[in-house]
Amino acid sequence: MKKLLDWRWTPWVALALAAAFPFISAAIDAQYLVRVGGVIGLFMILGLGLNFTLGYAGLFDLGFIAFYAIGAYTTAIAMRAGVPAPAALILAVLVSLTIRALLGLTILRLRGDYLAVVTMGFGEIARLTINNLDALTNGPKGLQLAPWRPLSFISSDPNVQYYLLILAAVAAGVAASSRLEDSRVGRAWIAIREDEIAARLSGIPVRHYKLLAFTISAAFAGLAGGLFAQWEQFVTPESFVFWESILVVSIVVLGGMGSIAGVLVGALVLVGFPPIMQWKLSADWINYRYLFFGLILVLVTLFRPQGILPSSRREAELTS
Amino acid sequence: MLIQQLVNGLTLGAIYSLIALGYTLVYGILTMINFAHSEVLMLGAFMALGLAALLPAVFGTGLVGLAGMFVLSMAGAGLINVIIERFAYRPLRHISRLAPLISAIGVSIILQNGVFIWISTQSLRFPEPVAIDQVNVLGATISSLQIIILAAALLLMGILHFFVEHTKLGKAMRACSDDIQTAGLMGINPDYIIALTFFVGGALGGAAGVLYGMNYGSIKYNLGFLPGAKAFTAAVLGGIGNIRGAVLGGFILGFLEVLASGYIPNGAQWRDVIAFTVLIIVLLVRPSGLLGEKIAEKV
Amino acid sequence: MTFRKALAVAAVALAAAACGPKEKAIKIAVAVPLTGDMGTEGQGLRRAVELAVEEANAAKRFPFKLVAAPYDDRADPKEAVNVANLITSDPNVIAVVGHYNSGCATPAAKVYARAPVAMVSPAATNPEVTAQQDSKDWMGPRVVFRVVPTDDVQGSYAAMFAAKKLGKKRMALLHDKSPYGQGLAEEFKKGFVAGGGKIVSEDGISVGDKDFKALLTKIKSDPSKPEGVYFGGLYTEAGLLLKQMRELGLKDPFAFISGDGSMTFGLFDVAGDAADGAYLSIVGVPADELPSAKKFVDDYKARFPNDERKPFDHFGYEAANIIMAAMERAGGPDRAKVIEELRKTKHEGVLGTTVFDGKGDTTSKIVTMTRAVAKKRAFDSVR
Repeated sequence: MKKLLDWRWTPWVALALAAAFPFISAAIDAQYLVRVGGVIGLFMILGLGLNFTLGYAGLFDLGFIAFYAIGAYTTAIAMRAGVPAPAALILAVLVSLTIRALLGLTILRLRGDYLAVVTMGFGEIARLTINNLDALTNGPKGLQLAPWRPLSFISSDPNVQYYLLILAAVAAGVAASSRLEDSRVGRAWIAIREDEIAARLSGIPVRHYKLLAFTISAAFAGLAGGLFAQWEQFVTPESFVFWESILVVSIVVLGGMGSIAGVLVGALVLVGFPPIMQWKLSADWINYRYLFFGLILVLVTLFRPQGILPSSRREAELTS
Repeated sequence: MLIQQLVNGLTLGAIYSLIALGYTLVYGILTMINFAHSEVLMLGAFMALGLAALLPAVFGTGLVGLAGMFVLSMAGAGLINVIIERFAYRPLRHISRLAPLISAIGVSIILQNGVFIWISTQSLRFPEPVAIDQVNVLGATISSLQIIILAAALLLMGILHFFVEHTKLGKAMRACSDDIQTAGLMGINPDYIIALTFFVGGALGGAAGVLYGMNYGSIKYNLGFLPGAKAFTAAVLGGIGNIRGAVLGGFILGFLEVLASGYIPNGAQWRDVIAFTVLIIVLLVRPSGLLGEKIAEKV
Repeated sequence: MTFRKALAVAAVALAAAACGPKEKAIKIAVAVPLTGDMGTEGQGLRRAVELAVEEANAAKRFPFKLVAAPYDDRADPKEAVNVANLITSDPNVIAVVGHYNSGCATPAAKVYARAPVAMVSPAATNPEVTAQQDSKDWMGPRVVFRVVPTDDVQGSYAAMFAAKKLGKKRMALLHDKSPYGQGLAEEFKKGFVAGGGKIVSEDGISVGDKDFKALLTKIKSDPSKPEGVYFGGLYTEAGLLLKQMRELGLKDPFAFISGDGSMTFGLFDVAGDAADGAYLSIVGVPADELPSAKKFVDDYKARFPNDERKPFDHFGYEAANIIMAAMERAGGPDRAKVIEELRKTKHEGVLGTTVFDGKGDTTSKIVTMTRAVAKKRAFDSVR
């Protein structure tokens, strides 16, 4: 397993398999999985984003979904105002980044669980504001978007199109993450996470780096939110509840904090599991879906407390 | 109207405070957020309902029956919290700080869905423990229920204060909260004290659950989530890990919500926005909460 | 090693769960929230559709076995679209009863249109759910129908009732900030103001809130003296509002008026005696007073003795029956023909006569106002 992960072609093989997946699933009559795969991809992007805040810089964020919401609503409002879809995506990223940076400037001096509860508060503030600002967001009734079908030359099925688009975004996110992880910046983040005081004494501008990690996260969330809005052609506040923030935190922790492969596997397991159960469980068992989900969460945590695929650096620390 | 609103805020605050105590006790000793606490609260309310249904002759009416129902539900909720700690948190205690959080979320999902599947998918009527009378004080309408809730909450807080400050076990709890390793070296069994803390926290949560059921007259599988999240916020506002802080935070949050809904135009729908904004501002001024001590920590 | 063991345990549990009876049957999908915060309401709809399907099987209406296949959207729009994709990929599903929330029904309908497969919503009241089919962006045929009327029907009727029958001039407006609740309240406001009344205050609450005392205290001490409250929302919040209103001394003749989301026996569980005297509107005629619905009420009770009917259950039952009638006329389980036949629906059932207009909405504009009687747990219609 370990060897397979370290093999240099593994990412490329995985990417090729993932890209071929919609066409394989069409052959075996399982197109439903393309939709599920796309949703998993969205949460992979979210997980990769939160991984900067939580995994690298060790900042506990319980309101991350707010930036997914901001991305989705920015895209929706921009497209309704006539902005072309790709530009709306860029705008979503920029708006999310800006709000995240402003938030970070204000609250990043808080530590640990105080930061967690403040971010949770911000998540709720964002959702409630979207729900209450009817003039801008149409409140609880949500906003409709015109369709954008970017890859219609490949397939006429919007699920396949968005699956591939999201897959490209995941690949780009993985590439960006691993470049950053191995850079000076990445090493500084890990130093901060492991011992903030020691890092400061070694001359790392701690606040600066924390803010950077915190802000970069939002670019991922904003992009995921924009893609989600365009795919569904509809946004509503019901999509951005506190539970979704918890889900993203669980993806990062369960997958293995600070581990890119871990985040991908975490999203695959946690986001993929309920829809697969929906598909495979008989009608009598459908009410048990989330009971099983909770059970999986507890069991996996008990048996792999360091995450399913922890980063090699973290594992070394934990076992020594 | 102000007096009426203060009474409303007091009742709400008392319930938040009781729940917040459960979070803060556990946090004080393990620095972990017990996400399953909201489900312990919910189970406390369901146990009280079960007792009232099983033994209506004993628990149906009167203050003695009420007290009995209370004590048994508290014990049950405390026990559940101890079991959760034993199986879902203890194996993870020394491994990582976030792993127990995830298993706590898992436990919370299991408990909520378990009640949904095996007990009831719908709201259940919670019996009125005593005939409700209304008294008019200075133009405010106060129900006997509000007085019972307030009295019970204050009594429990008083007992907790006495227990923590004036008994040997309480002293041991405080010692573990200060430094669990050193406390262990001094001959205190940390596992035992942690279990005790979970028991006490769970019992307070159970009590809050019963009060919650009484106050609102019906209970449902998902009743724990909202007050749980609010009370957790209250605990942080007061300074998490600090017992007085939890009580203070609970009452402040209660009043804040009441004042926002009662005095600000359109305040009800902005209520939580206002409450969280105040929380953020308070924490920016006092980064460890109102009564919290400054501590260095890492995730 | 231990990790593998855990996974093995989970896999066995799942395998056990997945081994249901596997038989080929024609399905009517019930796509509603079966778990999560809205699970209560969804479970009710699931029971209602099951009842309808069981009755049809017992009466041998079809030469094949029909089942009600439940799908859980958790009131989450993303899961609703997942579910819609799963449903459309199963050729045995002929039509869908769902979804419960407008936020779920709106994006899911787009998936159903691509298949195409008919969706008959028993509860989503936001006009957009059907109106989106008029958009130039709509891809596919019209497939959305609903047996529940949009908000304007009930809201304006309640406004007229408050002004004319009850003689109210000043009302306070409350809603739960959901598409349903807010929509209803806005229509009430429109109607009430047009009739010369005055809305003295307007507040939104959140679904799941329990404590409304502060808000009600504000309404009680409002200097412009409202004579009642109109609430757009569901029975849990309605019940708590009623209970806390009475505790604060807001009693008759201070009126409480709400819509069909509150008109359910669950209201009595939440509010107890405080429900007494609440005015609740319902589309069509209340099931308990309609001879054709009497059977449904009794059958439901007999089939599910431990569960009370939820506010939209009779709509779910009606939706299933309308689909089955369309299938009969279509001569078999053919998705496209069922859509065609649904358009021609003229159904006599629990809700009276249901005919769909060009949008797919029911044309039934009859609204009945009822008054809750806590002692006999009933809603008596007010004439």
